[in-house]
Parts: sequence; structure tokens; C-alpha cells
Amino acid sequence: MTIIDRMKSPQSTVFTLGQDADVELLFELLRRQYPVHEVSAAQLKRHYLDSFDWRLYRNNRVCGWDMPDGGERKQNAGVFFVQDRKTGDNVCECSIDRIPRFSRDIVHRICRRILDDLLDVRALMPVVAVAVRSRQFNILNKENKTVAVVRMESHALAGGMDKAFHTGRLIVSPVKGYRKIFMQLRRYISGQLRLPYEQIALLDEILAAIGKAPDSSVYASVCRLDDSLNTWEAARILLRHLFRVIRTNESGLRDAVDTEFLHDYRVAVRRTRSLLSQIKYIFPARRLAYFKREFYWLGQITGPVRDLDVYLLTFDAYRQALPRAMQEHITPFHVFLERHRKIEHARLCRKLESKRYQQLIKEWREMLDSENVQSCVIWPQSVAPLETINANKPIRQVAGKRITKLYKRILQEGNSITPESRDEELHELRKTCKKFRYLVEFFHDFYPENVVRDLLKTLKQLQDHLGEFQDLYVQTIQLCGFAEQMQQEELADAKTIMAMGVLVEKLNARKAVVRAEFEHCFSTFAQPDNRVAFMNTFSLQHQSRDRTV
Amino acid sequence: MKVIACYNIKGGVGKTAATVNLGYLAALEGARTLVWDLDPQGAASFYFRIKPKIKKGGKGLLTSKKMLRDVVKGTDYQHLDLVPADFSYRHLDLQLDDFKNPDMQIRKLLKPLKAEYDYIFLDCPPGVSLISENILNAADRIIVPTIPTTLSLRTLDQIGDFCEKTGIISSRVLAFFSMIDNRKKLHRQIVENPPANVQLLKTCIPYASDVELMGIHRQPVAVFAKNSRASQAYQALWSEIMSL
Repeated sequence: MTIIDRMKSPQSTVFTLGQDADVELLFELLRRQYPVHEVSAAQLKRHYLDSFDWRLYRNNRVCGWDMPDGGERKQNAGVFFVQDRKTGDNVCECSIDRIPRFSRDIVHRICRRILDDLLDVRALMPVVAVAVRSRQFNILNKENKTVAVVRMESHALAGGMDKAFHTGRLIVSPVKGYRKIFMQLRRYISGQLRLPYEQIALLDEILAAIGKAPDSSVYASVCRLDDSLNTWEAARILLRHLFRVIRTNESGLRDAVDTEFLHDYRVAVRRTRSLLSQIKYIFPARRLAYFKREFYWLGQITGPVRDLDVYLLTFDAYRQALPRAMQEHITPFHVFLERHRKIEHARLCRKLESKRYQQLIKEWREMLDSENVQSCVIWPQSVAPLETINANKPIRQVAGKRITKLYKRILQEGNSITPESRDEELHELRKTCKKFRYLVEFFHDFYPENVVRDLLKTLKQLQDHLGEFQDLYVQTIQLCGFAEQMQQEELADAKTIMAMGVLVEKLNARKAVVRAEFEHCFSTFAQPDNRVAFMNTFSLQHQSRDRTV
Repeated sequence: MKVIACYNIKGGVGKTAATVNLGYLAALEGARTLVWDLDPQGAASFYFRIKPKIKKGGKGLLTSKKMLRDVVKGTDYQHLDLVPADFSYRHLDLQLDDFKNPDMQIRKLLKPLKAEYDYIFLDCPPGVSLISENILNAADRIIVPTIPTTLSLRTLDQIGDFCEKTGIISSRVLAFFSMIDNRKKLHRQIVENPPANVQLLKTCIPYASDVELMGIHRQPVAVFAKNSRASQAYQALWSEIMSL
């Protein structure tokens, strides 16, 4: 990058350039009006990228990788960029010779930081590829200083795409401090050259042309519910949504694109299990037992890979926690984790191919396709009415009752924890909190937004605390096991074992601190104001009083 | 945001060349960078082909509610902006003196730009004045180009004394040898036996015609002579400053 090769500052203006537009003539007309210098003419292939859950798009960003088309491929000829989705203005760019997968693959400090904030641990995946022809002209002043930039671009779908698509744009970009010339230029292009202003962002136009749209179902954790629904209808909507999340994450999980596929898959399985166990008497008992068992199994088989993912994601923090001289000594632990992750992942993929899994998917789909609980073809012939007694009750009533019950259980379990309580008791409380949170999130539409938000905020703080404690509890035990296993596999020497021992000590010390903070953390959640706010909103008495009034 | 001031009591030591080249290199890495040409001679503005003039001059900047960002101009390089010089900056000392806390005004002016830039480079005029005091108070790092000559080394002592007198932490001051001519025995001797009373960067900027050619090309060295000795020296200097 020497002279401005892309747009300078925000708020570029984009004009539509018809397919038959004569670029040479436009250039000539501009040249008659302003001192113009042609900076570049390029033909390139642009790969638009985003995460599976469209994190960049949702944050009004577009990112991609440009590679000069044709000719000899030079080293570092590719350019990675992040742009504003609406204006197409560059936020950052850097040279890189292949499509980056993660933000960590980018060396360029600023690009990496921007992408880190947007992507976190998610991988970039291809969205669409387009062929771009681009010419750039700088508008100069008397000092030969660039005071505005004009770019003409034409885009067509890159090879392999069936649909014909072609769009052209003329983009005028201001240079900071030279607004007057920019406005003049805009007026000239719009008034004299009669080019219309472009209304649709380029990526949106391309996505529309190929019939692709950011799918909100892959990132929305909950869906909206009407409180006039009966319990079976509401549960079916929620479970169908969760089933869709499970299915959409499956391929990314198998291909090990990034760790979030498995994470989201597991969360959807956990939420499903939570609904099955918390919203009672809507499924016939035998079927319920089958699905509960099978979803529990899914949780079990996906656990080992997730555990290893967590270790790998935390590895840098482990390294940092050690004294500088010991930091390199735990490198074999990383090798061990990577190795076992591969093994466990292959094992998991085999289980996802199994008849048992296919059967579960088939039966679960059939059940969710049933219009009502009685018409379900897969129910056994004889279902006692009591087994599905809640199915036709209003969801608001059933959910409210359950949420209140779980809230009371959290208070009871939390209050009974003393400094002498066993670690397992905190884990039980953590599980109850999780169930409670899922229910509140499922049915949040029924309650005032601000109350739910405040409740979830304090709950999340408590959950984070309990989560950290549980992680430390498990990790201190597992790390000792890993150290032994590494010795058996001849992966660890004395230095590594010693470093891991130091790590366990550090984790134990942190665990003690977190444990000591529990009382304060829980009392914040359970303080009287929060209790009153909860009871006023969620208690059944209050709801029925509301209705009577 | 980090503020890096390029300062020396002595003139003609390569302050502007260092500011322009380091600012360009910072922007090249993608950092949002601003150069403020505080020298009424306006050499940095000239290098960037930008008219050394701001509306209402330096006084307007200090007195009006107008923010510094309103006079910022984009350069020809991505992520690199400039606050141009103005001839009225020659009176800036007197104008600063009219304010309460006169030594903190530049720092105050830069504050609103904190979120907009990763680096702000100040190209300072030579001399010891209220502007110098303002600059030293505003900067996180003060880099001091120093020609390896007796008089130049004397100014290093003077800067040290000045910092002490004004209560500025001298550890923020980093000197580096500039315009080194290896044909000169004195230059070689001083570089080999550098003064011990100041933090000295390892990188030295050679006396090179490419630096002088910046005035012809009106571009940073790395733009028109990327692989030259001078360009590589500035790159090394920037890497060293970054690593601190």
C-alpha cells in the first residue's frame, strides 16, 4: 500500500453503474472536469467470508480476501480486508497469501484485533466468491495531493455459480478535510453524469442473487412464543427450534470447523433435556423416558471432545499462570491435548454415524412433526390421560409454576451451602441455576423485559462464579490424571510433570479464593429486592390476580 | 492512544524526517495515526503536500470550542492524517501563556482524539519554550534525534535538565543518533562511546541523500525508496520503539 488504494474515510457514496456503462467515457468526462490520476486497474477474485453464525454481517461488517485473477501468483499478493457493510469503506486490510481461517492466522496487528473482537473463537467460512474488475482514480489538487477517490467496479459471480449476476458500482470516497470537493464531485456524477445512487449494500445484492440470506435460526438461542399457546404447542415450537440448531451444527461439528459448533450443539442438547425434564406431563411416560435417556447419551458422548476443547482454549492462560522459566515445559501437554482431541473427535463422529443416533433423530423428528400430542403416530397405543395432563394447559401457567419452583430451589440450595459444604453441593446448585435460566430464557416473552434482563444479569454472575468453581474442581482432578496418562504415553518428562504440578497448585489456590467468595456472590443474587422483583413478576398468584383485574 | 513527540532543542537534526517516516510506518501497519505539525516552518505539511494553514490559526485552536479534529486533513496514505502547521504557531508560546495551566493545553487538546487514533506524532519546533513544556507533558514517549556531535550531545544534557526542572519523568525520553556520517571520525567515536546519562535507542539513522530527496518527492522515504538504507533504518527504529 502506497498511494490510497482503497477508500479513505467513512461515508463514501456509491452510484449504480449499468452493465453497459462506458468506463472509458466516464473517465474522460471526469478528466475534463478534474485533475485525475489513474492509480490502478485490477482484475481479481474476491472471496467473501463470515462465521457460521454471521458475526461480521450482524455487526455491519463484511470481510473477504482478494486475489489477483490471472497471471503469475506472487507471494503475499492476496489482500484480506474488513469493510463497513453499507458503505463498503475499508476498516482495515493486510496482505496475506491464503484465506485466513481464524483471527489468529492474521499477523497484521490491527486486522487481527478487529477480527478477534468480532469472531472470538469462530472460524471464517466461505460465503460467496465474485470476480471483480476494478479501476481507481484519484482526484488531485494543485499540489498533486489526493483530495477524493473514485473507484469503478464491476462484479460477477465467480466460476461454478449457475446464476447470471452482474453489477457495477462507481464509488466516490472523501478524503478527510476536503469535503467541498467531495460534495462537488457527488453533485457532478449525480447531476451531469446522471448516475443513480445505489441503495443496496453490495454483499446483500450478491446474497439476494444467489438466494442466500443470513440465517438467524443458527444464532438465535431462543425463539418467540405467544402466551396463548398450550403447553404442548409451545414445547413443540421450542423443541423444533432446538432440533434445528442441533442439525445445523452437526456438519461443522463433524468437519471440526471450529469449537463453537460442538458447543452450540451441546447447549441445544442440554436445553432439550431441560425442557423434557422441567415441563412435565406433556409426553407419554415411556416415550419421555426413551428421549431423556437418548439425549443424556448425546450429552455424554460429546463431553470428552468439549472438555479437550476447553483445555486447548485455556492453554495460553495456563501457560501464563506459570513462572516464566516453566512456561515452555508444558508444551507437551498441548501436544497431548491435540492428539487426544483428534482421537475423541473421530470417536464422536463414529457415534454420530451409528444406528442409535440415526434412530433418535428419526423418532425425534416424527414426534416434533405431530400436530398434537394425541395424534402422534409414534406414541404407544395406551397412554394414560394423566401422563399428558399438562399438554393442553396454557403454557404461561405451566411455565410460571415451574420457574417459581426452580427459583425457590435455588434459594434453598444456596442458603444451605456453608463454608463446610462439599464441593458437589455447589455443583448441584449450578445445575439448578442452569435449568432455571433455560426456562426463563425460553419463556421470557411472557414477562416484562427489564425484570427478565435484571434477573438474568444477577443470575449470570452467580452462574459464572459457580462455573469457574466447577471448572477448577474438575481441572485439578483431571490434570493429575492427564499427567499420569502423559507419562504412560511417554509425552512428559520430569520438567513437564513438575510444571503441571505447579499448575494444579495454582488452580487449587484459585479454587479456594472462588469458594470463599461464594457467600457474597450468592447473597447478591438472593438479596430481598431481587426476590420481591421476582415474586411480583413470576409468581402464579400475581399472574392470576392480574388476569382477574 | 500513544503520543510520541519528536523533539530536540537543536534544529536541523532530522525531527521532521523522523516524524513523517515513523508516522507513515505506523499507518502502514494499520494503526490509525495522526501527525501534528507544530513547527511554523510547516515542513511535515510540505512533505504530505498539505497547505500549512489552519482556519483561525493556532489561537483559534486554543480559544474556540472547535475541536482539533475539525482541522485534520487526510494524507495520501491510508490511516494517516495530519494536523497542518500554521505560520501563527510562531506566537503559540504567548497564546498558551494566557491560559490557566498553560503547560497542559496541548495535552487537553489531544484528549478528545483518544478514541480515534492509535498513535499521535508531534513534530515539534526546536527551542526550549512553553510549547516544549506542553509537548513533554502531552507525550508518552519523547524521541530525540541527535547528531553525534559535541553541540548536539550538549542539548541532550539540556533536555535532561529541562525535564528535571519541569518535573517530567526523564525515562520517557529516548534519544537516537540521526544523520550519522560514517566517514566522519567524530561521528564514529561518539556512536561507539555514547553518553551514559540518557536512554539511547540502538537504531541509528544514517546521513542519506534519500532523506533529502523526500523534499523532491514529497513522500516518506519508504514510498519512493522502499529498500534504501534510510528506509530500512526508519523501519528498524519504529520496530525498536514499538518493542519498548
